[in-house]
Amino acid sequence: MPSTSLDDARFTAIDWDDEERGLPRPRWRTVGLVLALAVLAVLFAYDFLARPQQLVGALNWDLNRIDWLLLISLVLLGRYVLFPLVADRRRTRRYVRAFLGRPMALGSAVVLLGFVLVALVGPEALDRSWARLRHANQPAFWEKVYVADAWDYHCVGEMTNGYCHGSLAYPLGTTQYGESISLLLARGTRVALVLGVSAAMIMGIVATAVGTTAGYVGGWVEDALTSYVDVQQTVPGMVVFIVLATLFLGNLAGVTQGGLFAVAVVFGLFDWGGIARLVRSEVSTRRRAGYVRAAQSAGATDLGVIRRHIVPNSTGTIVTALTRRIPLLVLAQTLLAYLGLHRAGSKSFGRLLRPDVEGGTSFVVTLLVLLTISFSVFGDEIRQVLDQGAEVA
Amino acid sequence: MAPLLSVRDLQTYFHTDEGTVRAVDGVSFDVDAGETVCLVGESGSGKTVACESITKLVPMPPGEIEGGEIRFDGEDLAAKSSGELQGYRGGRIGHVFQNPLGALDPVYTIGDQVVEAIRLHQDVSKADARDQAADLLDRVGIGDVEDRIDDYPHQFSGGMKQRVVVAMALACDPDLLIADEPTTALDVTIQAQVLRLLAELQEERGMGLLFVTHDLGVVAEIADRVVVMYAGKVMETGDVHEVFDRPSHPYTRALLRCLPGRGRAFETIGGTLPDPTDPPAGCRFHPRCPHAVEGCRTDDQPAFHPVEDGAGRNSPGPLGDGETGDGTAAAGAATDGTAADATPAEGRQAAETAADGPRDHEVSCLLYGPDHSLPPDLLAEHAEVDDD
Repeated sequence: MPSTSLDDARFTAIDWDDEERGLPRPRWRTVGLVLALAVLAVLFAYDFLARPQQLVGALNWDLNRIDWLLLISLVLLGRYVLFPLVADRRRTRRYVRAFLGRPMALGSAVVLLGFVLVALVGPEALDRSWARLRHANQPAFWEKVYVADAWDYHCVGEMTNGYCHGSLAYPLGTTQYGESISLLLARGTRVALVLGVSAAMIMGIVATAVGTTAGYVGGWVEDALTSYVDVQQTVPGMVVFIVLATLFLGNLAGVTQGGLFAVAVVFGLFDWGGIARLVRSEVSTRRRAGYVRAAQSAGATDLGVIRRHIVPNSTGTIVTALTRRIPLLVLAQTLLAYLGLHRAGSKSFGRLLRPDVEGGTSFVVTLLVLLTISFSVFGDEIRQVLDQGAEVA
Repeated sequence: MAPLLSVRDLQTYFHTDEGTVRAVDGVSFDVDAGETVCLVGESGSGKTVACESITKLVPMPPGEIEGGEIRFDGEDLAAKSSGELQGYRGGRIGHVFQNPLGALDPVYTIGDQVVEAIRLHQDVSKADARDQAADLLDRVGIGDVEDRIDDYPHQFSGGMKQRVVVAMALACDPDLLIADEPTTALDVTIQAQVLRLLAELQEERGMGLLFVTHDLGVVAEIADRVVVMYAGKVMETGDVHEVFDRPSHPYTRALLRCLPGRGRAFETIGGTLPDPTDPPAGCRFHPRCPHAVEGCRTDDQPAFHPVEDGAGRNSPGPLGDGETGDGTAAAGAATDGTAADATPAEGRQAAETAADGPRDHEVSCLLYGPDHSLPPDLLAEHAEVDDD
């Protein structure tokens, strides 16, 4: 599932060559990762230095910072989630079998897949024309509204007895500005998922690094890191963002310009405390596991033990925590857009919730509820599947 | 001939909030190549900490090796850093732990795990390592290796898992294998199989085997020499036949009496292990010892006394049937197929000449000192034991 996480990664990777001793023999998966990141870097350098109008003119395709972040996330996702799944087909089959045996897992995965599809193709597929003020306040296609007494109302669909019927041109109707609500929802979904994946990647990396270090090393390092997490958790990412936004929004074109990139970075860097705690407690029990002692007694280095045994066995915790975190990020982003505190707001769910935009509220709420529930369920189920797949005796 | 492993006056302490725990407090023993030495004692007597100190697997902090010397093949391991010891762990010194269920990572196939152990110390290709792994797994008695090498740990029974763990420990052909209660978690029939396997492998490879157990039945089965530990100190050490025939320390006797199936009612040792942060003065066993005399309660743990010579005038009646020193050792080698042929005799020779450690049958008990005569009840007990 692309939307799961970034860090599933090392857990499934059975890469003995990660453990290379003596002469390092780079593996093609590592080479592939480096190459992919290098291509991104070159493109970014070209974009940044030459500043072309559009990065790929022919495709009418340009990238901004959040897109770069997303691309990096996707490369890492491919390397650490998809690749291991493809590389170890036996294990994958086991996971798939466990997955198919769980209706809830299947259901939530289907819903999430739907969201991903909508986010991928929706904004382009539904974008038939510019918003026309004449087409304001159209009903959804299964609805009809009495408009005979309305002044200057153009019904796009059929008119019968003074009722305007919805049409498939605007399946979910329009706002009072004549914007297609279905298009706005598709854009909102894209914004939500782009933010979710990018911020979750940052969080996943930081939380795994901090949690693993604290849990494995212990002692004063653990004390220092957990104290820091405690302090940081008293200042939620939301507060940091609002302060930065009120200080700088509109003034500076820096990180705090209030775009999605800023949201992803601020939440990614300030909201990982809870996940790091979970990882820490998981790791500090794993650290005493028999196989960790066995690996140590076999002469493995600490780093090797962490990469080969600790992180892979903590995957369930990390993945679950991240998938549960994504809907919270989406909600936070929606709230910020609702408050008019970030620039991507015009495309976000948040704008549709604003009282000055009519229509669409109930759809947004439905979508948010669905998204939140399916992410939570998916997170729990994926943990079950991973545990079942590993079948810890 | 210098022993393969020679531990001298090892002190491993744990600094905890409740005080300093002297888990191992001046322990000395040797392991020769091709020899099986058993560390025996109750839970909490420091056996495990003693073996884990050898390659510094003891968590540090809170643990710390306060003093002593650990000579392995001439090198002092106690002076090496944990990083330097990584080359020894798994390379020249293998470990097998108590609980095989946890010792395998559920995320990887057993083949992968043996391959990992091999490749940690040998620069071989993945394919070669896999071939080696298959051979090893075959050797430790995993049937159908080709089928099973890609199975996950949960598909194996406890005994099979322990075989895999043994294979991992042997991956780099260690000179010394440290086995910490490797059979405790297994049921009795499987125990016997694993013990036999270890004994065979040891003979095959001529490695030293340091075996930790609280089970005297296992000791009788596998050991060449025995080191009896109590509360972080060695109480008695000697050839397995000598110790079983002439247990000299009251603690060893008590342990043997706890062994069921010797025709007596099942007995236990009264009392509990002393507080490790504040061990009693004198002999650490004295609060539980029925034979303790005034002198046992003061000073330090008593010095070692050879059982046959120093205690000669106290010698309680006929000691066995005419077997002395070399005779016993030879008999030991003859009856115990696990011992490499030349080793016990050589070990004995070294023991006779070397005054640097407990090689002979020695006991750390005041009653065997020159100033004491064995109390009558102990003498009677001696006779009783000899009657068995």
